[in-house]
Amino acid sequence: MARWIIIAALGLALVIALGAAGCGQKADEPNTIRLVAWKFNNPGLWRRLADQFERQHPPLRVALEIGPHSSTSFHDLLTQKLKNRSAEVDVFLMDVIWPPEFASAGWALPLDQLFDAGQRKRFVPAALEAASWRGRVYGAPLYLTAGVLYYRRDLLERYRLPVPQTWPQLVSQAKLIVAQDKSGLAGYSGQFKQYEGLVCDMLEFIWSAQGRALGPQGERCVLDRPAALKAVRFVRDALIGTAAPRGVLAYQEPESLSLFAQGGAVFMRNWFYAWPILSDSKRSQVAGKVGLAPLPRFSGGESASCLGGWQVGLSAYSKKPAQALKLIKFLTSETVQRRLALEEGLAPTRAALYQDPWVLKAHPHFAKLAPVLAGARPRPRTPLYPAVSEVMQVYFHRAISDSDSDLPELAGRAVQDIDRLLGLARGQ
Amino acid sequence: MALTATRRGERLLAWGLLLPCLAAVCAFAFWPIVYSFVLSLHRIVLGLPGLGEPFIGLGNYARLLADPTARSSAAVTLVFVAVSTLLEVALGTLMALALDKSFRGRGLVRAAVLVPWAIPTVVASQMWRFILNDRYGLLNWLLFGDQVASYRAWLAEPGWALAAIISADVWKTSAFAALIVLAGLQTIPREINEAAALDGAGPWQRFRHLTLPLVLPALAVALVFRTMDAFRVFDLVFVMTQGGPANATNVLQFYGYKKMFAEGFMGYGSAVSVMVFVMVLAVSLLYLRLVGRRLLRGEER
Repeated sequence: MARWIIIAALGLALVIALGAAGCGQKADEPNTIRLVAWKFNNPGLWRRLADQFERQHPPLRVALEIGPHSSTSFHDLLTQKLKNRSAEVDVFLMDVIWPPEFASAGWALPLDQLFDAGQRKRFVPAALEAASWRGRVYGAPLYLTAGVLYYRRDLLERYRLPVPQTWPQLVSQAKLIVAQDKSGLAGYSGQFKQYEGLVCDMLEFIWSAQGRALGPQGERCVLDRPAALKAVRFVRDALIGTAAPRGVLAYQEPESLSLFAQGGAVFMRNWFYAWPILSDSKRSQVAGKVGLAPLPRFSGGESASCLGGWQVGLSAYSKKPAQALKLIKFLTSETVQRRLALEEGLAPTRAALYQDPWVLKAHPHFAKLAPVLAGARPRPRTPLYPAVSEVMQVYFHRAISDSDSDLPELAGRAVQDIDRLLGLARGQ
Repeated sequence: MALTATRRGERLLAWGLLLPCLAAVCAFAFWPIVYSFVLSLHRIVLGLPGLGEPFIGLGNYARLLADPTARSSAAVTLVFVAVSTLLEVALGTLMALALDKSFRGRGLVRAAVLVPWAIPTVVASQMWRFILNDRYGLLNWLLFGDQVASYRAWLAEPGWALAAIISADVWKTSAFAALIVLAGLQTIPREINEAAALDGAGPWQRFRHLTLPLVLPALAVALVFRTMDAFRVFDLVFVMTQGGPANATNVLQFYGYKKMFAEGFMGYGSAVSVMVFVMVLAVSLLYLRLVGRRLLRGEER
């Protein structure tokens, strides 16, 4: 009797151990490419693309793993897998800010085969710049986005106002319309919660005031220079709590968009993805009343947009890089790029598609996006970007959420922290 | 001879039965703690493999003590733990007292009280985020109705955001404290209370001198559980504020998580985790001493 119990207990332990080991090694099929994708707004997209690829490249198959929607959460999940050298990732999606980190950590392989001199010329320059690290391309650009200004065309027309060219002009127009309209409108909506989006919004203000986050060589942080301070001070004093409701301090993209889409704001800064939503009368109460323009600037500066978007990377731990490269080539081919543009309204990374008659017929606003992309700028490029961004997020949020904040002092501390991180990255 | 054989068999059986459990405890509880500690003695930056993974002794801990963000995170965590635990145990006791009375539909009420506790924290946090939204949130509408101008952005103000996280936690876990205290209440024989009532003791006197002392061990257990749990608060912050505004809700666990998984500082992030572990351990040892002594004293009597 006792013997049987022992045998049963040991058997159980064995089963548990085998089960645990089994989780780590799924049967590896040589023709299956594992794609770890970020959860796109339109969830069926990845499967449809995978089906098209499978039809064109038998006997290859694509196994999809779809991660969270938030870029930061997706980063945590993906880096966890790569850190463990998981062979279950062949191809993955990369946010536009990750290539320096992924390249430097040795997680992503360079894609030289796909990007010879002739190929490079076909892509939007900012997209390739963001995808490269030390001269080599690590991410095949899938689609782009950037910050633009959405405005209520009907309201500007009613009060006979031009589309604002400068930030102070935007603020005075917003105040005028809000005062006249009396329906509880907000002047401006944007992304000012303490998260990655805050960095994008704030850098756009700083760039358009001729300021910078890092010096031209990326060697040191210059957020404490007068131009950068001026932009941050403007956001704190002229936007938050005046032209924009204080609530924007807790807004990410969805909250800022829903305020604008419900007719609650005159202006909004958002990414390209907002346009199809705002134009759809089922999802927006302002369909047909919205205009799109490059972001305003400060006098003496130039309009600047923060570059966003996604790229496709090849895992250094993939056991079938040749097959994986086929999938990457397919995803960034002109055919798929056109399909993404036509069906999903995603801004292509291939420059020629901005003159493509089919694309322009389906999405006339792409004509306005091309010049915005020409002036779009990548965020600071360093392998420690997540840490640098964290310092900036805390600094910006402290600076703009308290009207008595001591800006030079806060900026000085942020510069010190960021310089220390840059020094660490240089010491490698 | 036959006897020893049986005894040896029994010993083998005991080990055989214990082994799977021991293995699981070692693999899933003990090893991660040891490994975190080992990691915390190294400088490991995921984005910079060229730096290697040098052993730096207590370097991470020295930096941690000098790190103003870590210090403010520790303060935020302590405020959260102290306020939420006290409120939860107090509210939980009140709830337990009410649920201990017999009234029609008590079973239903008891089940209903547990609903917040049964909702996954992430879902509850998301719900609170909607309730506290500055434009469309329920709270602003309840407080101010149509006066949109007085609507507040609760999660955008440092003080209110911390208060919001605490309220969400109190709302969610008071029921858990209530459950433990209720179990304690039900072990008190009814006769004691009836006898005291016959002797002319009022409800407050009976609570103060009979119920409270008798339910104290259960109360202490609830306190221990809630404190240890509160130190580990993470999901509420993750969903509701991401540590903002201006780091006002950046509790230690979330800070460590960000360091490790978002920024890739594995060594430093591990040091933060170990600090939380040490704090929880210290607090639980303290509690165990207090509670243990009280329980012993109770037995002697």
